[in-house]
Amino acid sequence: MLTAETLNTVLRSIYVSGAATLISLTWSIPASYYLALRGRSRILETIVETLVGMPTVLLGLLLYFILSSSGPLAPLKLLYTPQAIIIGESILVTPLIISASYRLLRSTIRKFSELALSLGASKTQTMLLVLRETTSGITASAIMGFSRAIGELGVAMMVGGNISGHTRVLTTAIALGVARGEFEEAVFLGIILLIMTITITVALKYLSKAYEEWYA
Amino acid sequence: MRYATRTSILLIISVVVIALSLSYAFLSLGSVIRVKVSTTTSLYATGLADYLASSFNSVYPEARVEFVAVGTGAALKLAERGDVCAVLIHEPSLEKQYIDKGVIRDRKIFAYNYFVIVGPAEDPASISNSSNLVEAFKKIYHAGEESRTLFVSRGDNSGTHFRELSVWRLASLSVEGARWYLDCGCGMSEALIMTNELGAYTLSDVGTYLKLKDSGRLGRLRILYENREDNLTINLYSAYVVEGCGGLEKKYAELFVNFIYENQRELIGSFGVNEYGRPLFYPAKDEEQIVQELWNVIASGLR
Repeated sequence: MLTAETLNTVLRSIYVSGAATLISLTWSIPASYYLALRGRSRILETIVETLVGMPTVLLGLLLYFILSSSGPLAPLKLLYTPQAIIIGESILVTPLIISASYRLLRSTIRKFSELALSLGASKTQTMLLVLRETTSGITASAIMGFSRAIGELGVAMMVGGNISGHTRVLTTAIALGVARGEFEEAVFLGIILLIMTITITVALKYLSKAYEEWYA
Repeated sequence: MRYATRTSILLIISVVVIALSLSYAFLSLGSVIRVKVSTTTSLYATGLADYLASSFNSVYPEARVEFVAVGTGAALKLAERGDVCAVLIHEPSLEKQYIDKGVIRDRKIFAYNYFVIVGPAEDPASISNSSNLVEAFKKIYHAGEESRTLFVSRGDNSGTHFRELSVWRLASLSVEGARWYLDCGCGMSEALIMTNELGAYTLSDVGTYLKLKDSGRLGRLRILYENREDNLTINLYSAYVVEGCGGLEKKYAELFVNFIYENQRELIGSFGVNEYGRPLFYPAKDEEQIVQELWNVIASGLR
């Protein structure tokens, strides 16, 4: 059952969701650091937490309208490419990563920033200290983002199009397995997806713990 | 005290929610006889399936026909697992396998229409003057190999997908893994939308195409090959009762299959004429003999 195509689909899933998570981190972490520095804002918290549950099909649909040949970004020719899925998923996981890392950053800033500043640290040094203290928490939020991205179907289906050898990822392959009536194949892919998510989560947790111990 | 009030409010809310959802579940079970039918996406997307169900319902108000819209391959798998009681499908060679397995019986061919090739108006592979489907596919193949065009394949084990694969086989062409051959693993509507986006070609049943074209979603696409004399393009829709189901549901499944078979002239011939200017499907009863023969030819693997 583990054909070259399946392997290809698995690797593509990891690449697409991994890239989406990494790209999202480049704006999610600065954004949540900035939010944490600004102090508590209930409205912003509520907005971000609501967006965590954004239906993936809705996001997929909006992106489809933007990227389709009658949409504003048509000249980029991104529809039905892996890049389109990466863009969609990086947007999708942003609220999740922000809400997961924001609280941690806020309490760490409260705990350390005044102390650090009073001991003569610069703002940059304080930021580095806070980020170092929260590495494992931020890793955990990135893992959550990755799991959400690799497990979502709506965006991958609508803007990726489930094209074999090009934009087919694990979730769209599972949906196709069901549509084709190949339930065994669908279950098999589902198990792969589950094992992969668990393995990656455990591995990253272990790594970030090892890093922390080494640092301490 | 405040804590206690809050808890009791929460309790009351949850009790109400549970009571509401339970009563909804029971009401929807009710006394109606539910007949589950798996149908091909083309019958569902055009609205014909729902139209047949509501006509049936007006004669037999005690029953409600519910559709699961999937490709023909999956429709038969659902029948094999006993999850549905009747099937409406369009791939004779696959139907034959399941008849032999004893999963379905009593074939009733109730409608037919045609497969057409749709593509961009400019027709980069110049297929519009082809004399048969195989020739048109060969032209698409050559244009594809020269990177002048793309072809979208359903890739979902549906009747349309099977037909497309038969034509490639008859043309002795191998398309597996070609850069211009996009296997989207999707339903007919999705495949048509993708074809329109990419300016590609695809094989479609004429019904789904007309329906979507009418809604304005397929601006770039035209029917580029349509030939009623070409037996390869005929698309036969059959209804079957699933052997494995029983009881009242089976009785009504039989009634439903007979109902659409007996009333096909009135139900199918006029469906969609007002909206699309031409019928999306034709009743098979007028040409029963020919249709049965064609079914046998296609079922034995299109040589």
